[in-house]
Amino acid sequence: MADPVAWLAGLLGVPVWLARSVFAPLVYPGLLAFTVVALFIIWAERKITARVQMRVGPYYVSPRLGGALQLLADGVRIAFQEVIIPRQVERYSFILAPVLGFAVTAMALAVVPGGPGVYGFRSSVGLLVAYALLGLAPLLVVVMGWAANNKFTQIGAAREILVSVAGEVTLLASLLAAAMMYGTMDLVEIVEAQAAAGVPGIVANPVAALLFFIAALLIADRVPFDLVLGEQEIVQGPYTEYSGVLFALTMALDYLKLYILMMLFADVFLGGWMPFSDPLLGSAAVFAKTVALMLAAVFLRSVYARMRLDQVASMFWSKLFPLALIAFVLSAAVHPLYGGVLAG
Amino acid sequence: MEWGSRSVSRRRGPGVVRGHLQAIAAALRQLARPPMAMPLLEAEDARVPGYRGVIVFHYDRCIGCSLCAQICPSRAIKMYRVPGDKRIRPGYDVGRCIFCGLCADICPVDALETSIIHDRVYEDVPSMNMDPVEWAVWSKRILREEREPGRPRLRAVVDPDRGLRYERVEA
Ligand code: SF4
Ligand code: SF4
Repeated sequence: MADPVAWLAGLLGVPVWLARSVFAPLVYPGLLAFTVVALFIIWAERKITARVQMRVGPYYVSPRLGGALQLLADGVRIAFQEVIIPRQVERYSFILAPVLGFAVTAMALAVVPGGPGVYGFRSSVGLLVAYALLGLAPLLVVVMGWAANNKFTQIGAAREILVSVAGEVTLLASLLAAAMMYGTMDLVEIVEAQAAAGVPGIVANPVAALLFFIAALLIADRVPFDLVLGEQEIVQGPYTEYSGVLFALTMALDYLKLYILMMLFADVFLGGWMPFSDPLLGSAAVFAKTVALMLAAVFLRSVYARMRLDQVASMFWSKLFPLALIAFVLSAAVHPLYGGVLAG
Repeated sequence: MEWGSRSVSRRRGPGVVRGHLQAIAAALRQLARPPMAMPLLEAEDARVPGYRGVIVFHYDRCIGCSLCAQICPSRAIKMYRVPGDKRIRPGYDVGRCIFCGLCADICPVDALETSIIHDRVYEDVPSMNMDPVEWAVWSKRILREEREPGRPRLRAVVDPDRGLRYERVEA
């Protein structure tokens, strides 16, 4: 079976491009795969943090599975919880912002390839499209914080503005360094360049990979850069007033960002489906790399404490930004490694 | 070495890269160790002798002197008139009790005792306030539970290798 999507399209009697653009955003790497990953990752996060702190973590919901069904139980509870809309909020922005934020971010899953030939659409500037779609989410988070009309949400929104600018500049710098290294912005070509050269990007340009990973942690609100949420200081930042399904959406938004960014990382720096070229095995490789990266990201939660706003700002602008310049120099130096491959 | 001397304040930590690696390695080592939390649904904490839990009342020993009601600092004990009994008897409000044990100390005939049971669930606030007869009946249940616990009782022991270890204590 060369291309499962094409096979599926033949089975259903629809054009391949249509099957592709439905399959990718909805099934894999899209929302269905994300739901499974999110349930697993949140459980793993709680379990890992608990073990590092010598606790047991989720357990009694399903003792034999180590409490793995806890998240399903939480999901059922959240689904039936009343959505409370406080009187002082701006109703429509309050309800629509998390929905739009999630939808806009999820659209990035149509561009990021989850395996050979498993993507919604292919564009010569796929890297920038994914970046731009991810960059829209902070705007909606600010809308959430403003619409909720509460001091915690407004402080959270202000922090989101300050840190997301710092994080996105660093992310863009590392992505541009990568694009310069491969000589293309097409994500599929980037993976193929790495496969042809036999060297994953993280080996050729570790500085850009490190920058991407750190910026991804900030954009996805992970510890040590989770000061937008700042549970001990500002309750839940811009998401404070949400309950029920809307709260689930806001929480899923951060994990969705993490999922997309880590899949981008797997594609751009870890060679995507590199050892394989078969669609099924290749997709499995990308998926496994993504989940491993997400596990590493959630593990860091038990290592670090939250940084202050000024520490984050000075770290990103005065330490990581100069590193980005080094990443560019490094990219220029290793460019022949990949450039020759694409030309030939 | 004096406090605030230069050699102390100038001590450098590990470098940036090494510091991060050390922190991550420390967390990974912790990850490999077994948890040491007590499984509280399957076992309960063993209490030391003389633990001050809820107060149990032996109706047949009481002489109705009211000393307990006078000493009680939170007015958890009040005297009641029981139909068919010519003496007044103490009633007990667990919701008010601060478990100081003064009532058990002052009782001249040891009709009041501290128990090792503390954590209890009550259906509502009125059911926490017991009249003398209810208190005596409830005390029988508490005493039985003290003798025959429903879950094994575990005691935490400091263990140099694992941190904490739990060993079983017979009632
Ligand atoms: S233990 Fe203290 S507070 Fe409780 S009933 Fe006895 S005297 Fe009152
Ligand atoms: S102090 Fe003892 S004997 Fe006196 S009323 Fe209270 S329980 Fe009864």
